[in-house]
Amino acid sequence: MSSRVADRSGKQTGFERAAALAGGTAQARGRAGYGLVSPGLVYLLVFFVLPVFTLLATSLYVKPPGAEVGQFVPALEFGNYAIVLGGYWSELLRSFGFALLATVLCLLIGYPMAYLIAVRLRGRAFVQGLLLVLLIAPFFTSFVLRTQAWKQILADEGFLVQALKTLHLMPQGASLTATSVAVVAGLTYNFLPFMVLPIYANLQALDHRLLEAGRDLYGSDLTVFRTVTLPISMPGVLAGTLLTFSPASGDFVNAAILGNNRNTTMIGQVIDSKFMRVLDYPGAAALSFILMVAILILVTLYVRRFGTRDLV
Amino acid sequence: MGRLPATTSSETARGTVLARPEQQATEERPPSGGAELVLHRVRKQFADFAAVQPTDLTVPAGEFFALLGPSGCGKTTTLRMVAGLETPSAGTIRIGGRDVTSLPSYKRPVNTVFQSYALFPHMSVKENVAFGLRRRRVRDWKARTEEFLGLVELHHLADRRPAQLSGGQQQRVALARALVNEPEILLLDEPLGALDMKLRRQMQSELKRIQAEVGLTFIHVTHDQEEAMSMADRLAVMNEGRIEQIGRPEDLYHLPRTAFVANFLGRSNLMAGTVTGGGQGSGPLLEVDASGHRFAVHRDRAVSATGQVLVGVRPEKIDMRPAGAGADRLTAGWGINRVAGTVTDVAFTGVSTEYRVEVPGLGELGVFAQNRGGDLMRPGDAVGLSWDPAHAFGLDGQQDAAAGDDAV
Repeated sequence: MSSRVADRSGKQTGFERAAALAGGTAQARGRAGYGLVSPGLVYLLVFFVLPVFTLLATSLYVKPPGAEVGQFVPALEFGNYAIVLGGYWSELLRSFGFALLATVLCLLIGYPMAYLIAVRLRGRAFVQGLLLVLLIAPFFTSFVLRTQAWKQILADEGFLVQALKTLHLMPQGASLTATSVAVVAGLTYNFLPFMVLPIYANLQALDHRLLEAGRDLYGSDLTVFRTVTLPISMPGVLAGTLLTFSPASGDFVNAAILGNNRNTTMIGQVIDSKFMRVLDYPGAAALSFILMVAILILVTLYVRRFGTRDLV
Repeated sequence: MGRLPATTSSETARGTVLARPEQQATEERPPSGGAELVLHRVRKQFADFAAVQPTDLTVPAGEFFALLGPSGCGKTTTLRMVAGLETPSAGTIRIGGRDVTSLPSYKRPVNTVFQSYALFPHMSVKENVAFGLRRRRVRDWKARTEEFLGLVELHHLADRRPAQLSGGQQQRVALARALVNEPEILLLDEPLGALDMKLRRQMQSELKRIQAEVGLTFIHVTHDQEEAMSMADRLAVMNEGRIEQIGRPEDLYHLPRTAFVANFLGRSNLMAGTVTGGGQGSGPLLEVDASGHRFAVHRDRAVSATGQVLVGVRPEKIDMRPAGAGADRLTAGWGINRVAGTVTDVAFTGVSTEYRVEVPGLGELGVFAQNRGGDLMRPGDAVGLSWDPAHAFGLDGQQDAAAGDDAV
C-alpha cells in the first residue's frame, strides 16, 4: 500500500502535510486566518524560535582558560559538535532504536485499540467513552509516578517476572528491571495514548458506507480492512507515529528510572546530566541541537516516504 | 495477481453487450438478462421497529423494477437485505433460483449503487471502478475497467480522485463501479437523489439506456414517483414496511387499489360514499351515493362492491365547464358523475392549470385542465364537473382518504 501512495507525496512539503494532519486545510481562509494564527505565531517566536537561537549560540561557547565549572564565554567553537558526537553517538543511536521499537509496539497495540473503539463499538457511545477515559485516565497521575509503577510491575518479585519464570519463558537468574526491555516497555506504555488518539480520531470519521461498498464489491472483511480502512486511516497512523517517536527519542525519564547506567542510557539522560550535573552547557546545547536536527531529518524522510495525500 | 498488459477494448477477446460501434461485429455475448429475484416472507425487525413486514416479491430476470415509497417505508431496508448488508429476521431471498439468504454480501452476485455513491476517496476513478474486478481476480480487469469507463464517458477523468468530480460524474463512477462486475442484479439506492433536476432527468434516460444495453435486472429504490414511473417496467409502492401494490406504472396510476397508492402516485380526489346499487349481477356499474351525489364506478375497478367505499378520480380526468354551459347538456342524460361547484384556487403551471373546486358535501376537488387556449376560470366562477365512469375507481371505505397525501 505504501508504495502506491508514496509516489504522489513528493510535491507536498512537510509543513503542508502537518497542516493536513492537524485537520485544517492548508489554505487559511482570507485575512481572518492570519489574524487567528498571529497569537500562536508570536508565542512560538518568543518561546521557541528565540530559545532555539540561544541554544545554538550556547552550543558554540567555549570555556576560557582557568574558568570555574559552568563558566563559559561566547565563541564560535564548532568543535563542540565533533566532541559530543564522538563521545555520545552510541547513546544517540540507542535513543532512536528504543524510540523506533516503542513506536512500532505502540502501533501494534494502539491500532487495534483505536479500531475497536472507533469502528467496532460505533454507535455505543457509553462503552466508547468509557474506554477512552480508561485510555487517558493514567495521565491524571504524574509521568514519573507512572514510570515508577512500572518498576514495581517489572520487579523480580513482581507477578510478571514470577509468571514468566513459572512458565519457563524466562531464565531463573534473569530479571527485567534495569534492562533495555524495561526501558522500551516504559516508553511504549507512556506514549501509547499519543498513538491511539490520532488513529481513533481518524477512524471515528471513517464513513461506514465505504466499508459496505467494499463488501458489496466482493471484499471480505479482511480485504476491506486492507484496501479501504487501513489506507484511509494512514494520516492518523502518520500523526500517531510522529507524536510517539519524536518525544520518545528525546525521553530521559524512562531510561533513568527503568534502565541502568551501562547499556540503556538514552541521549536525553546525557543532555540532562550535562545541563544539571556536569554543567557543560555548550555540550548539552550541542547534543540538544543534534537531537533536534536528527529528529527533523528522520521525520522528514519518514513523511516523504509514507505521507499520504490529504484525504478530503 | 497476474497483471495483463493494458489492451484497448477493441482488442479484448471477450465481446461485450456494451460494445461501442467498432465492436459490434464481434459481439459474442448475448444480453445476460441478469437473474430473477424472489423474496419469500422476508421480514426485518430492528430492536423496536418493524422495518419490513413479511413480504413476498418476485422480480423476473432483466426487469427494471422500482421500489417506491416515502422515507421510512422499508424500501431501502429491503434493498439492503438483497445486497446482504442487512440480515432478514425471517424469510428467504433467492437470486436466480439460489438461496442467498445466509450468504455474506461479498459472495452475492449483486452490486449496489449507493445513495451517497460511497466512492473510495483514496483511490482514483479507475481504481474505484477496478475494485470489484480485482477482488474477484478477474484476469482482464484493466481492459474491462477501461470499457466501463467508456460506457459512462469518464475516460478523461480516470486518474482523478472522486473529490475532484462533480456530483453527476461521481454518480457515473458509482454506476460504472457496480456495473463493471456484471452482477446478476444491480441495486440502485436513490442513486439520483443528490443531483439537480435537469441532471436527474438526463441520468434517468441514461440509466434506462444502460439497462437496455446490459439487460441486467435492476432494482431501483426511490421516493420520487415520477422517477419510478418514468424508468421502471414495474414498480411496487411501499408504505409502513409493506408493499401496497405492484404493477406496471400505468396500471398502478390508472387503477390504484389503496388510498395510499392513489395519493402517493400522482394525486387523486377521494370521496367517501356508500354503495347503493349495482350489486351482484346487475350490470357492470356500481352506484355510489356520496353526500347526495350519485357516482358510477365499474365493478371491476372497485376493491369492494358493498358498503362504505372511497370513490376516486384523478384530477386530469375531470371535465370542467362553466355552469350552465355545454357540460350540462353533455351529461344531462346520465345524471351521475356530475357535480356543481365553485372555483376557489387557480394555479397556472404552463402545461396545465390546476384548479381547486369547492363542491358542497364533498369538499374541495382538484382539477387539472390542459392549456389548449381559451380563457382560464377564475376564483368564484361557478362550474360543472363531470367524468367518465371508466376513469373512476373504488377503494375500501375504511381507509384514510388522506393517506400518503403529504408523504415524502
